[in-house]
Amino acid sequence: MEKKAPDSRRNILRANLTAYGFLAPAGILVIIFFLIPVLLIIYLSMTNLATTNFTTNVSQMEFVGLENYAILLRDQFAGKIFFNTVFYVLVTLAIFNVSLALIVSLLTMHIPRRAGFAFRAIWILPRITTATVYIMLWRRLAVEAPYGIINQFNTLLNQPTYNYLDARPWEFVIMANGFIGVSFGMIIFTSAIESIPKDLMNASLVDGSTIMQRIRFIIMPLLRWPLLFVVTYQTLSLLTSFEQILLLTNGGPGLYDTEVWSLTAYHRALSNYFGNAQWGYGSAFAVVLVIIGVVLAVIYMRVFRFNELVAEPKIEVL
Amino acid sequence: MTVTDNESQGIIHVPTLIIALKNGLLVVVIFSLLALILQGILKPLVASLQVVETVTTTLSLILILVLPYIAYIMSGSAVRELVKTSIPQALLTAVIATIVLFSIISVGHYLLNLGIFAPTSSIQMTVVDTDEGVLVESVVEGGAADIAEVKVGDVITAIRRDPVDRATLMARVAQSEVDSPLRLRMIRDGEEIQVTVRTVLATSSDASALFPGLIMALGVTLITIIWPGQFTPYVILLAILSPLFLGYLWLIIATFSTRTQGIIPLDGEGNIGGFTLSNWDFLFGKDIVGLNVSIWQVTLNSLIIAVSMMLIVLVVSSMAAYALSRMHFPGRKAFLSFTLVLHGFPAVTLLIPIFFVLANLGRTPVIGEIVGFNKPIGIALVMVAFQLPLGVWLMKGFFDGIPWDIERSAMIDGASRWRVYWEILLPQIRPGLLALGIFAFLGGWNAFLIPQTYSTGAGMVNLPVFLNQLISETAPVNWNQIAAVGLFQLVPVFILFIFAQEYLLNIYAGGTKGFS
Amino acid sequence: MQVTIENLTKKFGDVIGAENLSLDIKDGEFVAFLGPSGCGKTTTLLMLAGIYKPTSGTIRFGDTVVNRLSPRERNIGMVFQSYALYPHMTVYKNIGYPLKLKNMQKKEIDERVNAVANTMGIGDLLDRRPGQLSGGQQQRVALGRALVKEPDILLFDEPLSNLDARLRLTMRGEIKHLQHDLGITSIYVTHDQIEAMTMADRIAVMSGGHLQAFDTPEALYDRPKTLFVAGFVGNPPMNFINVEVSASNGHFVATNGNMSLDLSKERGEKPATAGNSVVMGIRPEDIQIAPDGTVPAEVFVVEPLGRENLVDVRIDGESILLLADTKADHKRGDSVKLKFNMNKAQFFDSKTGKSLLWA
Repeated sequence: MEKKAPDSRRNILRANLTAYGFLAPAGILVIIFFLIPVLLIIYLSMTNLATTNFTTNVSQMEFVGLENYAILLRDQFAGKIFFNTVFYVLVTLAIFNVSLALIVSLLTMHIPRRAGFAFRAIWILPRITTATVYIMLWRRLAVEAPYGIINQFNTLLNQPTYNYLDARPWEFVIMANGFIGVSFGMIIFTSAIESIPKDLMNASLVDGSTIMQRIRFIIMPLLRWPLLFVVTYQTLSLLTSFEQILLLTNGGPGLYDTEVWSLTAYHRALSNYFGNAQWGYGSAFAVVLVIIGVVLAVIYMRVFRFNELVAEPKIEVL
Repeated sequence: MTVTDNESQGIIHVPTLIIALKNGLLVVVIFSLLALILQGILKPLVASLQVVETVTTTLSLILILVLPYIAYIMSGSAVRELVKTSIPQALLTAVIATIVLFSIISVGHYLLNLGIFAPTSSIQMTVVDTDEGVLVESVVEGGAADIAEVKVGDVITAIRRDPVDRATLMARVAQSEVDSPLRLRMIRDGEEIQVTVRTVLATSSDASALFPGLIMALGVTLITIIWPGQFTPYVILLAILSPLFLGYLWLIIATFSTRTQGIIPLDGEGNIGGFTLSNWDFLFGKDIVGLNVSIWQVTLNSLIIAVSMMLIVLVVSSMAAYALSRMHFPGRKAFLSFTLVLHGFPAVTLLIPIFFVLANLGRTPVIGEIVGFNKPIGIALVMVAFQLPLGVWLMKGFFDGIPWDIERSAMIDGASRWRVYWEILLPQIRPGLLALGIFAFLGGWNAFLIPQTYSTGAGMVNLPVFLNQLISETAPVNWNQIAAVGLFQLVPVFILFIFAQEYLLNIYAGGTKGFS
Repeated sequence: MQVTIENLTKKFGDVIGAENLSLDIKDGEFVAFLGPSGCGKTTTLLMLAGIYKPTSGTIRFGDTVVNRLSPRERNIGMVFQSYALYPHMTVYKNIGYPLKLKNMQKKEIDERVNAVANTMGIGDLLDRRPGQLSGGQQQRVALGRALVKEPDILLFDEPLSNLDARLRLTMRGEIKHLQHDLGITSIYVTHDQIEAMTMADRIAVMSGGHLQAFDTPEALYDRPKTLFVAGFVGNPPMNFINVEVSASNGHFVATNGNMSLDLSKERGEKPATAGNSVVMGIRPEDIQIAPDGTVPAEVFVVEPLGRENLVDVRIDGESILLLADTKADHKRGDSVKLKFNMNKAQFFDSKTGKSLLWA
């Protein structure tokens, strides 16, 4: 916007102060719990802080420059963990958080309203079950006979039984996380589809379109914004989620088989096998994650033309 | 199109069948190719990058396993068109389509060395459980067991020193590498002997397991045909949901039984039964074994955390969203993008430095008393901060939906922006507030990582932290007890969700809809 | 309250909302801003309301420059097209809200709300919510809310366009009367020229962000200063014909092909100096089908309007609209003779679009 001649500086200041007043509580929380920690972790990643020389006083930490990153590059497992993360995020996102979410929301809209509500309520269960209990269920499904539920069916069918967490760790990691992720997309998509004007649907019905055509030409185009939201939000969620993997496989069964990047950061900094928490080295892992997350979010915003979605306010004064 | 004679009843509707099969085949072929590409090209590529095969194998397996079923569903919908003209035709077509497609699926499995055709580690004999041990029933001639001179009638008691039953024996065999030696202890004619069997790769010949699958597929198809239109979505939804369904079924069964195998409740002697309410004793003031905490105190903690978090998140994020949605100020776009990017900051990233932030805040006079490490408010604020990016975006969407004229009108009536926000706009986004409120409440109710990390002592123990303590600090772990506490924690929020679902679905609709 | 607008300009980035507007609105006057959608009339109104900041120029209420005042400091009332009632408040609270914001005593609020509600004829609806009211009732509530704080200036943003035709007619009269009785300076934005013509003391015709004309309805109708105003004001619209105006011996003639029309000196003198780039405008009611007409034409379409017929005739293929008596039963293809009332003819410079008569 151009500078407006007739406005006094005081007035502009006052208007901006109101806006910043509204933003202040969120802003302060963001500064204390996002901005400062991010700066701090960048600094931490350049120190050799570990259990042996632990201190909370920032000025007493020993600065080692980029040494942690050099170690990370030489780390023989970093490549494996990196590709694990990419695989895990892409597959979970594509199959569960987007596709299955869309399928479920389309299906639940297709059946009577009450039944749809019931199904969506069941889908929300994984999200509202606390992680400890939720993972307990998946372990129950996967473990060896006679306790495992899947193996019970195997036994009934006279098939060999496995500990599925050893035999098929990725499938279970992806399913356990995916089933949580579905509900998010499901709710967003369902409400988006519900908000499509009925006239549009009726017009299309009159035109004699098939279900698939309606999905392709009416529902999908109008889902652009919700899709952006789900994809962005869930990619970043998946990149950062490690609670479920931690509880389910803890990166196993083999060496780093299902270890993802965020879990590594946690392992290095907070729960090292050797009892020596490497805060500095763990932070280096976490910083990589922050950078990836930020870059991805920026790309998404460009791809989906974020600027168009953020219209200018239509009241200009205080 | 070749929609032909409606009069020719009783004859298989050839075009439809062909179309259905063509669709199905096409999908299978395309995705087999994709899988092949993944296996053949991507695998060597990523192998050079030290990634285990699991990645590509899993991807191709997913393609191979899931997509024929999609083809199956597609052909199903094609067949359903037929029902409108002739039910016998449709039935016949469906049965044929099912058999053909199921064969394709089986072949797919076979080609990919999966399932019952899969060559697995085997010692090529069949066994049954008996009281003394595992009785060898038959031995494949020339097979691994035969070579090692295992005879019919031998009773296997242990592998090395570990006693076995049939299931563990089979599992050990299945898990062992090909050509690895298995030292079996067994009793032959009253004498204990040791035999070393080398496992080989062999295809299980037990094709009979295919039939239950085929029968199920046929059953589903027939029901789908008979219940045209309405049934298919349910079948698909239930099929997708089955793991969850089984898991939660177990959870419920477990809370009412002494112990379980699979989803079957068992009593002390191993018979089906063992119904008990003892897992729920904690509700009536009895302390849970090993921990001297009353569940009600913990529940109250959970409730306080959840409710206060909900209120703070609502106020803080709606205020910020109002400014972002309705006000001009320098840095608006930057703040908006920043909010979106914020969620990219992984919790784990921040867990480490926030620990240091809280520790340093704790040393500050006055403020430290309120928000420092191990202080409830400090911990609550961390959780609030983590919820803000979502909250601000949701609220902004709702504010965007309110007509500008209402706000203009209020400003002309003499309201300040604060009053407009509080008196005019907030009442109009009640559905959004409710939705976000529920999310925030859930976040607080289920909060685990943050209270666990930043608090010590009983002050901040909520239900999830308590559950974790139950698992980590009691021995032996009573899983049925934990299931009961887990269910106790789950039920209130589930009920809340059921009642609030309609509002949650409003998240996208936003604005003044639903008002009159 | 007198309103003075000087060189008011509003830009949204590169888009011009309004440019270089200057108007004087007298105390108690009812002024309409008339123009097609997107012409900048609502933008100007919102600047008067204080919702938009002017890019440059000044707005005065009385002697006070109000550019820097926020909406609540301007003591204005505004009625919106969407009524903008607060859906969560009852009618009573809606009307009372401006008073509540002035920290008025409950008792006084009560008196004034009831008084306004009774004036507006909605006294029995005070407990209802906006969603339970009809469009007309909502409109009255919105008007009541604008009036209750006794504003210095009333702003209307197309307030009648969401109402059905009959109700619109009623409300038109009511608003006009109310404004007249209260004597509040009013500014009324509309794209409906009948509304503007019937209600306003003066009309500001706008187009593309510019003020085209600002005058009384009669003046706009009879003495349009630009081609745009002439074409925009009046329904059915004015006919335009390219003519050449020539003078010989104090005798003035406008010609186009075979058509030749005599002009009086008052009408013809100035256009004659402009030579051949002249557009003649003549309103449909100033053309008659008469046996003694001079211009031959062919009837193309006849549209019955009830009281009269709108007849589209062609002169050498060019369309001319005129109003004819319903009794004269014209049919498509009829050859007729037209008589032009040249004392009502307008003349414009075809290049500048400016009137050659009233400049």
